[in-house]
This record gives sequence, structure tokens and C-alpha cells, in this order.
Amino acid sequence: MSWEEFWIIFGCCAVTMLICRVAPLFLLKGRELPSTVTLALNLIPPAAFAALVANDVLNPGMFAQGFWPAGAIIIASLVVVAVALKTKSLLLCAVSGVVAYGLLLLV
Amino acid sequence: MLSRTVLRDAFHAAVPIMLGYVAIGIPCGILCDSIGLNAIQVLILSAFFYSGAGQFMIPNMFLTGAPTASIIASVSLVNTRQMLYSASLAPECEGARKRLAFLFAATVTDESYGVSIARFKEGGWSVDRALWVNLFSQTSWALSNVVGVLVGSLIDIPLQIASFAMTSIFICLLFTQRLTSPNIIAAVFAIIGVYACKALGLSGAAIILGAVLGVVCAMAFTLIRQKVRP
Repeated sequence: MSWEEFWIIFGCCAVTMLICRVAPLFLLKGRELPSTVTLALNLIPPAAFAALVANDVLNPGMFAQGFWPAGAIIIASLVVVAVALKTKSLLLCAVSGVVAYGLLLLV
Repeated sequence: MLSRTVLRDAFHAAVPIMLGYVAIGIPCGILCDSIGLNAIQVLILSAFFYSGAGQFMIPNMFLTGAPTASIIASVSLVNTRQMLYSASLAPECEGARKRLAFLFAATVTDESYGVSIARFKEGGWSVDRALWVNLFSQTSWALSNVVGVLVGSLIDIPLQIASFAMTSIFICLLFTQRLTSPNIIAAVFAIIGVYACKALGLSGAAIILGAVLGVVCAMAFTLIRQKVRP
């Protein structure tokens, strides 16, 4: 990639990213928000985390060649769910997830 | 003013993200190196663009010969989900100085959003702590990327397994949400939405469309329930 291509891609992506990151916060900050907007904002975390997990774990056609090896990520996820409910620790979840998934892929 | 307590709290909260960023930042740097980006370019990307998904997408799309405009459009579309985080953080930044709120908002990622919003909801968290979580995470990301460029393929990290550290963080954040009916509906419909988007070939917008579907369905449920049982 040439420096010229780099600057164009970097510049445009950085600007759209900055707008997405900053604009909504400053549009809403300091305003009296209607109760429906507050309700919607409070629902963003569970919806966003579920969407991020689903995006990583689920793929249409993932079981086209049978349950294994695609099932490894599902079982590893269930291991992390158990650790999350038991410990509520992000660090333990990350470590146990990687170890479980690594071991399951060896099977 | 910057106090030791703020830094300690922030560092403690940021450790899982920092470790995860090492695990995926090095492969990201290796990938960037493969399309001829140098350490300075990778550092610029990590400092002013700072997007894990985006920094993987740019080299991957470049390698497939995608045109510049298509790379920019796809990366920007994937990053529109940041708008949801930004909106959701607005009430937490009430009363924070403009410059602090700007720096905080400008450095939020999926993971640091999750860590900070969870702590804001628990109480006892502040925007300056949240900003430092972002900065610690970003430092780890930037340095790991540079290491990836410099050492190149000397290190062999299986990306598929390493990136599951991030998935695990999201799973933990999801399952430590309060177990209310609206939250459950939001999560279930977000999952259905993501799956449906992918099945329809809309992978780039799957996260934001799925999350919006979840929020809309849970809102509809809550508003209908309020009408039935005022």
C-alpha cells in the first residue's frame, strides 16, 4: 500500500469513526431526555453485547459439515457462560474461553 | 486532577482488555506488515483510528484487491455501531467537562464500552476512570500492533483462538446484565437480527442492525406492558 493510498483510507476511516464515536454523545449530553429515549439507551448494552457475541459465534451454514468442528465454539461459549455466572470476572472468562476453545479445537 | 486511585481503578478494569489486545494486536500488526505498512503507519492507525475490526478489515480487503472507496465504505459501515455506544454513554457524561467527554468518547471500543458501562451502572465509576481504561487499552493495542509489524511472522499466534478472548469478554458482559424481561428480549432479538443479517448477506451491518432490532423489540414490549398494566 502506497503512502498516498494509506492517507486516503486512514483519513476517511478516521473521520467517519470519530463522528460515530463523538456526535451522538454530544447531541444527547446536557438535554432533558424523554423517558422513551432513556429506556432505549438502557437497552443498548444487552442488545449490543448479544449482537457482538452472535456475530462472533453464529454463522449461517456453520453446521453444513456436521456439528464438529463448528460446535467447538458453541461449547467453548457455554464454558464461558458458566464461568461468567459463577465469577463475574472478565479476566477469568477471557482466559477460560481461550483455553477451552484451544483444547476443543485439538479434539 | 489525576490521582493514583483513578489510575489504579482504571488499570484494574482495563487488564482483561489489554491482555486480549496483545493477543489480537500482534496478528493485526503482522497482517498490516504483509501489505507493506510500516510501524509508523500502524502507530498512526492505532492512535487516530483505533479500531480492531477496522484495522483487520483494511489489510484483508486490500489483499483481495478491493478499490479504495469500497474499503472506506465497508470499514465505516462496520463502525457505525459506535453510534449506539456513544448515545448510551451520554447520560453518564452529564456534568463532565467537554474536553474530557470528547477524549473519552473518541477512544471508546466495543470492549472498553462494555467494561465502563457495566461499572457506570454499578455506580462509583467516573468519566476520567473510563477515559483511562480507554487509554490503557489503546496503548496495549498500539504497542502490540507495532510489535506485530517489527517481529512479523516470528511469532505464530492462532488468531481464531486468540480472538475468542474478545468473544469471551462479550459473553461475560452479556451474562452479567440484569435478568429483566426487556433485557432478555433485547438480547434474544439482537441475536436473531445478527443471524438474519448474515443470512441475507448483510454481514457488515449485522451488529448495528441486530442491536437496533433488539432495542426496538424490547422497547415495544415495555411500552405495551405499560399500557396493559399502567
